[in-house]
Amino acid sequence: MTKTVLTIDDSRTMRDMLLMALEDAGYTVIQAVDGVDGLETLASKGADVIITDINMPRMDGFGVIEGVRADPNHRTTPVLVLTTESDVEKKARARAAGATGWIVKPFDPVKLVDAVRRVAA
Amino acid sequence: MDAFEAIKATFFQECDELLADLEAKLMLLEQGQTDLETINAVFRAVHSVKGGAGAFGLEALVRFAHVFETLMDELRAGRKPCDAITIKTLLRASDVLADHIQAAQGLIPPVDEARSAALVAEMQVLTHGGEAPVEIEEDEDDFGFTPMAFDMALDEPASLPIVDLGADAPSVGWRIVFKPMGRMYVNANETSLLLRELGRLGPVTVVVDDSETPTLDALSIEDGCLTWTIDLAAAVDEAAVREVFDFVESDCDLTITPLGAGGATDIGAFDDEPAAVLPASDDLDIAALLAKASGAAVEPAAEVVPFAPLELERTPAPIAAAPAVEPVAASVAAPVAATPAPASAPVAPAPVTIRVDLDRVDRLINVVGELVIQQAMLSQRVLESGLARSSGIALGLEDLELLTREIQDSVMAIRAQPVKSVFQRMPRLVREVADMVSKQVRLVTAGEDTEVDKTVVERLAEPITHMLRNAIDHGLETPEERVAAGKPAEGTVRLAALHRSGRIVIEISDDGRGINRERVKKIAVDKGLIAADAPLTDEQIDNLIFAPGFSTAAVVSDISGRGVGMDVVKRSIQALGGRISISSVPGKGSTFTLSLPLTLAVLDGMVVTAAEQTLIAPLPAIVESLTPQAVDLHFVGGVDPVIRFRDRFLPLIDVALIMGFRERPMNPTEGVAVVVETEGGQQAALLFDAIQGQRQVVIKSLETNYQQVEGVAAATILGDGRVALILDVDVLVTDMRRKSVRPDFKLAS
Repeated sequence: MTKTVLTIDDSRTMRDMLLMALEDAGYTVIQAVDGVDGLETLASKGADVIITDINMPRMDGFGVIEGVRADPNHRTTPVLVLTTESDVEKKARARAAGATGWIVKPFDPVKLVDAVRRVAA
Repeated sequence: MDAFEAIKATFFQECDELLADLEAKLMLLEQGQTDLETINAVFRAVHSVKGGAGAFGLEALVRFAHVFETLMDELRAGRKPCDAITIKTLLRASDVLADHIQAAQGLIPPVDEARSAALVAEMQVLTHGGEAPVEIEEDEDDFGFTPMAFDMALDEPASLPIVDLGADAPSVGWRIVFKPMGRMYVNANETSLLLRELGRLGPVTVVVDDSETPTLDALSIEDGCLTWTIDLAAAVDEAAVREVFDFVESDCDLTITPLGAGGATDIGAFDDEPAAVLPASDDLDIAALLAKASGAAVEPAAEVVPFAPLELERTPAPIAAAPAVEPVAASVAAPVAATPAPASAPVAPAPVTIRVDLDRVDRLINVVGELVIQQAMLSQRVLESGLARSSGIALGLEDLELLTREIQDSVMAIRAQPVKSVFQRMPRLVREVADMVSKQVRLVTAGEDTEVDKTVVERLAEPITHMLRNAIDHGLETPEERVAAGKPAEGTVRLAALHRSGRIVIEISDDGRGINRERVKKIAVDKGLIAADAPLTDEQIDNLIFAPGFSTAAVVSDISGRGVGMDVVKRSIQALGGRISISSVPGKGSTFTLSLPLTLAVLDGMVVTAAEQTLIAPLPAIVESLTPQAVDLHFVGGVDPVIRFRDRFLPLIDVALIMGFRERPMNPTEGVAVVVETEGGQQAALLFDAIQGQRQVVIKSLETNYQQVEGVAAATILGDGRVALILDVDVLVTDMRRKSVRPDFKLAS
């Protein structure tokens, strides 16, 4: 069974890039455009792995992580944080919120798939 | 176009949207709405541009966006005030950012270094206060990083005996001692997956120490109680091993030490009694491994209940299936089914959209066009067959007609776009023009959500740009003049869009000086456009500014006096099947009104007959139709017919003759003359046999289906199934008349 990856990013470019890389690697990809949309999509469709951007309108990536971890149905779903911000503070905050891992933009498709595989059972 | 290029195209498309949003948000800031959400929105827009630009290696763009973003970050953190000076800088920075994006697409030459650098310096001064600006290069690591190579030193337990053999001298193998903390499971990392990853690097031997495992009732989610010792017999460098633990490094105790030459074989020397020794394997079977490991862990502890068969599929409640393996699983799994998912957030959902290739939409529109035609043909046939109007078939057809029309409207709506995309570009223009002519201008927009066909939207930009320039340059007075006239120093230009009787209307009004009719009239007389004593209404005088070659600017300025006048605007509007007019009140201001069809896929046409051929004359080009009287006809030089029309003589063009439908000219008094106006404002009368009526027709390209035919703009199919050609009035009036009338006429006479 193919794994489903939910990508949450307000940038269409980034969503397209994730889509291309993940579909090439055989994942099913569903998309959301911001944190609120992301949590709603997760609730209605479910996902095996979540990749979320940090800076988004309506709800940011930290909100997504907290929302996922607070949801009994999805609290053990891995969440990868997608960010250009490599600073320690952001990453520590993401981890404290419950992020499983992170992907630094701009990403290399191979590394991206590696990271997803590493957290996807 | 390969996938990468396609995404790049998407990126630039997205950039346009981001810029529009950026612009809108900056305008809000400028109007004093400096709340955090607005500042955040600006930050996000710049941030997204930078992110995408980084992915495509657009260095210049990334550098500029980075400095911009850094300043926005200061503002949103509240470390810098969002004052008027800063906002002015941001506005100019957004202009430069837009140019960088255009340059990255190759649409314009690279942005002038000095201009870009000046703004960078300005933003850095704002970012860093009065201190010396930091070189951009210093920040480069922030975006020039290697993907995934996360800072290894972060959260490194201080006491770990790291042997630095890593990168340069890969060992024949590594011993990894790994003790997860509860935190690791909370963040949804799993030991089994880490073991699987290690298994990818080479053969592994895994030993699990379960001696710290409490009884089931004492298990806690916050506890890590298994210690894993993994011997990896692979000549990989330490970084590769560490990368496996990249995500969990701070959530576990981890030591990685090189194995000796005997590597994987000395496992027995490990501290406590090994609970299980697992065979090395290239394709590690995790399920078997974990079953074995935990099986070994469970057996000595007799009080632990037997566990369910292992199920590593992660859905829907992944860990719940293997309670005895990962201690955390039991406590995690317990509440799983207990509470339902929280209700969705009470925020309005973002509109759901799909992106569809324009070609597909056009194909659909085309097919629907066929459907409309087919439906009209069917109706006509039924009518001709003599069926009663109340018959079931006729009534059914009526319903079909309504449905068809609805489908057509819906399909047209797919191509419809709000004019916002054009309107959003205007504030920058207004700013630049106002700066250039030293006027204070406030732009007010309305009806940005008014929708119109995509093609029309795209072609609106130029005429609107031109008219706005005109309004600021010519319409508005200088601040001094305004104050002297008792008006506020700041002039207002209003740009509005609205729907009116099936057309879109764009109004551009200013509260400036209005049209100086005396001067306009004088110029028109001087340029020979009108007779000195021509009796003209105010409206006629105002509309003289659309006459070709008319320019009211006494001094040809940089802004609107580029040799193109309002006649050019009028022509481009007419090319879209539109009309333009002006109304003006001296001292109070002027309003330009342009109206356009909502789509270019259908056309209002007049159906005419010429030598038994059915033709369509585009309605927007038609001024009037009349029956020629012998007394009004004259022949210039004895050959070229002209017709008197409102005290002017217009060339009379026998369409059937010049199209080659017949060889001899017809007697004009037996036909109908339709007065048309070209986009260039030239008038002529087209002679047809008869007028059949008016109707909306679906435009079919003749070029794609046949070939280009001179004098014919396109074709359509009428209700009775006949193909009718849509006339290209401009070509008929200007080119073809010149070429063919005279010889044909001579032949005929």
